[in-house]
Formats: sequence, structure tokens, C-alpha cells
Amino acid sequence: MRPINTIAVGFDGSPDSKVAVRWALTLARHYDAHVVVVHAVGLLGRFDSKNVTTELEESLIALCDECAIVHTRARLEVVDGDACSVMLRMADPPISADLLVVGTRGQGAHAGLLLGSTSLELAEHSPIPLVIVPSS
Amino acid sequence: MMLIINGSTDDAGHEDPGHPERPERLAAALAGVEDLHLGDDLLAVAPYSATRSELVRVHESTYLDQLGAFCYEGGGDLDADTYATYDSWSLAQYAAGAGLAVIKEMRIRGDGVGFVAVRPPGHHALRDRAMGFCLLNNIAVTAAELTSVGERVLIIDWDVHHGNGTQAIFWEDPNVLYVSTHQWPLFPGSGAPFEVGGLNALGATVNLPLPPGATGDVLRQALDETAAPAIDAFKPTWVLVSAGFDAHRADPMADLALSSGDFAQMATFAASFAPAPGRIALFLEGGYDLAALRSSVGAALGALLGSDPANERPTSGGPGAEVVRSNRDAREIALRIAHDASQ
Repeated sequence: MRPINTIAVGFDGSPDSKVAVRWALTLARHYDAHVVVVHAVGLLGRFDSKNVTTELEESLIALCDECAIVHTRARLEVVDGDACSVMLRMADPPISADLLVVGTRGQGAHAGLLLGSTSLELAEHSPIPLVIVPSS
Repeated sequence: MMLIINGSTDDAGHEDPGHPERPERLAAALAGVEDLHLGDDLLAVAPYSATRSELVRVHESTYLDQLGAFCYEGGGDLDADTYATYDSWSLAQYAAGAGLAVIKEMRIRGDGVGFVAVRPPGHHALRDRAMGFCLLNNIAVTAAELTSVGERVLIIDWDVHHGNGTQAIFWEDPNVLYVSTHQWPLFPGSGAPFEVGGLNALGATVNLPLPPGATGDVLRQALDETAAPAIDAFKPTWVLVSAGFDAHRADPMADLALSSGDFAQMATFAASFAPAPGRIALFLEGGYDLAALRSSVGAALGALLGSDPANERPTSGGPGAEVVRSNRDAREIALRIAHDASQ
């Protein structure tokens, strides 16, 4: 098994994604790993004038404090694309994540029950280990 | 020259209040056609719903089953961007079939320019997944029909977003040359210059990413210097265009700086590769500023039909000339590496 140096975790600000980030941060502390917290910006992200980056950064700092991990071990990456494609790209350079982490569902993902949620899509296509963190 | 159009299906059932991909877009595009005052040179073909066998050429059967069932159960959000309603499945099948009806008429006549004025748009839709406002990949359904009878299809995608779905569907198909101009970085994040096609179709994908603010002169440079040689070598027998108009400077979805006059020039560029009359069709993709969409549709179709609407002047002076050159180099290096690896 290859060492876990970098963990990429999906984050859209939803309660489920916060659970996933907490889990990833806790694991990172255990393995002395870095965490890349990934936010995918879709088409509507551009159409919506609201800038979510500051909000997500503040959430991330709070989650780091909660998990007792230094802020420099986690950084936010805001990436254009749909959530599944963006997470899959984290396995490639320059991030070269060793582990992907996602919640069971994020914002607007209720349709995933029928059509394959981000987590199920990732389970099918991810070239590296994937952890799906249940919401409870 | 006659304009052969399919866009008469009532699309009002595919709507999500407040969403930018809305029925008014199609009305604006059709107003752009009306502005050309074509009279008897306008032929509207009957709506046609793509059959299962036509759809499974480019989509997985399971996905079609799930999408249909999802819609008939009332629909909802498919992802953070993409919605479907009860009516969406039916309308999407008409959108996917519209291009088939247009090319059928064009093949009978051996003449004309096709315009597939439909929604939902299609170029982000993958084989197994809806994405980026798109449910079924309309242009891919038509391209697959053409290749099934031995045609060689050039797809030029000038939507401001990379057509990741179309690229992925034809990644390994040497009979489809996919050329995309798009803003980068931007959704969906794909479309790098080193994405050149799969091992069976090396060079059959040409990506021309442009920086925010790029103007028409830079885009034309990219097409002339990088795309034109690849198209000449490919020798297409049909030209299909993923005609999104969200690269217009007024569009709220992105940051390119084109005018309607630039779309007229791109249409002329695309038509120059059609080997005979009646071999070019435009498919509506994006375009979210209604006035820009109307004027740009009129400008692009007007250029193909010899009409001359009052277009905005083509643009110039934006950034990106260096990017075009470095992208061309990156593409050549990627092709060399891929060729060596395949030996």
C-alpha cells in the first residue's frame, strides 16, 4: 500500500461535505498528510455573482480548528468542472492525491439516487482509493 | 441558398424558474433567423424524435433508461447545474432527433444550410451522464448517423465552454475530427491543447483554449494556424458546428470578447471546409444574453446564406496571441509523444 501523503476531499459547504472534511482532516493528522479541500465550480457558479470562496475558506479554518490540525496542512482548491470530473483530476499531477474522500451527497445531489451520485461515479472510475463518509 | 431548420417543437416544458438555460433562448435564436427575412428560402422540417437505436450509438442504454424514468417521476436536479422536468425526456429526444431530420432533408436536396435550433443543448452530455445543462448529445447523435454511412465528419465547437461530452464520445473515432475553441480556465475544465485524441484517433481532437478577454483576431489565428492544417489533412465530407454564442462579450457566463461579426467570420471559416453545397449544419448550444444570441445567430447564418445583417464589427486587440502559439507547440509535442508511445 502506498503511503498517504495527500488527501483530496470534496467540499461544497453542505453538511455532508463538512462531515467528509472533518474525517479527512482527522485522518491527515494521524498520517501527517496534507489535505486538499476541493470545491468544483459548475456552470451556474459563473452565472451566480456570489463569490463562495471566502465563505468556504472561513469554513475550512473553522473545521481545522475543530479537528486540531494546523491550517497550513489544509488548503482550498477551487476548480472549474463538475464535481466528479474535478475529484478524478485530483489523482493526477500536480496534486497527485493518494486518497479521495467525499460525503454521501452534496448540494443538489438528491437525483444521484437514480442517476449515479458523485460518490458512486467516483467509486466506478477512481484510479486511487476512495472513502465515502456517511453523513451520520 | 435555403435555410433548413428544425426548431419548431414547443420546448416550454423544459424549464426551471431562474435557470439561465430557459425557453426564451430558443425564441431569441429563432428571432435571429426571422431577422434574415428569408421568405421562401426558409424550410422548417417536421419535428423528429430520435429512436432508441439512434441514441445508443452515443449513449449507454442504462443511462437512457434512468433518464427517462427520472423525468417521468417528475424530474429534479441531475447535478448542481443540470435539471430535468417531466417533459424533458420527450423534448430531449426531439432535440437529439432534430439534426437527423435536417441532414436527411439536406441529403435529399443536395443543397442548403442546416440550423438545428433546439434545447436542451447537448455538447457536455457524456455517454452515461447528463452534465452542464445537457441531457443528450444532439450533435453527436447526428455525427454518429453520418459516420454510420461512411461520412467523415468535422465538428467545430465554438461554444465558450469546451464540449467535453462530444470529445469523449468520439475520442477513439478516426472518422470524426473534433475542433473546439473555448475559454480556459473555465467549466468543464477539460480541453487542454495536449488532449489530441485516443490511440485509434491520434490528432482527431484539436483543442484551442483561449484566455479571458480574447478577441476575434486571436480566435481566427488559432483556427488558421492550428485547426486549418488538421482539417485539410482530415478531408471532411460533412461539417457540423456546435454553435454556442456565449463567447459573445455581452454573455454573462464567460469572459471572451467576441462580437456577432466574429461569429459570421467563424461560420465562413467552417463553411470553407464543406466539400459541397448542403454539407454544413449549425447546432444551437449555449448563449445566455438574449440580444447577443439573436444578433449572433443572424450574423452566423447570414454569412452562410449570403445575407448581410447589420453585424457588429469583428473584434481585435485582445490577449492570447502568445497562448495560441504555445498551445500549438504543446499539441505538436503531445502528438509526437503519443505517436512514439504507440509504436
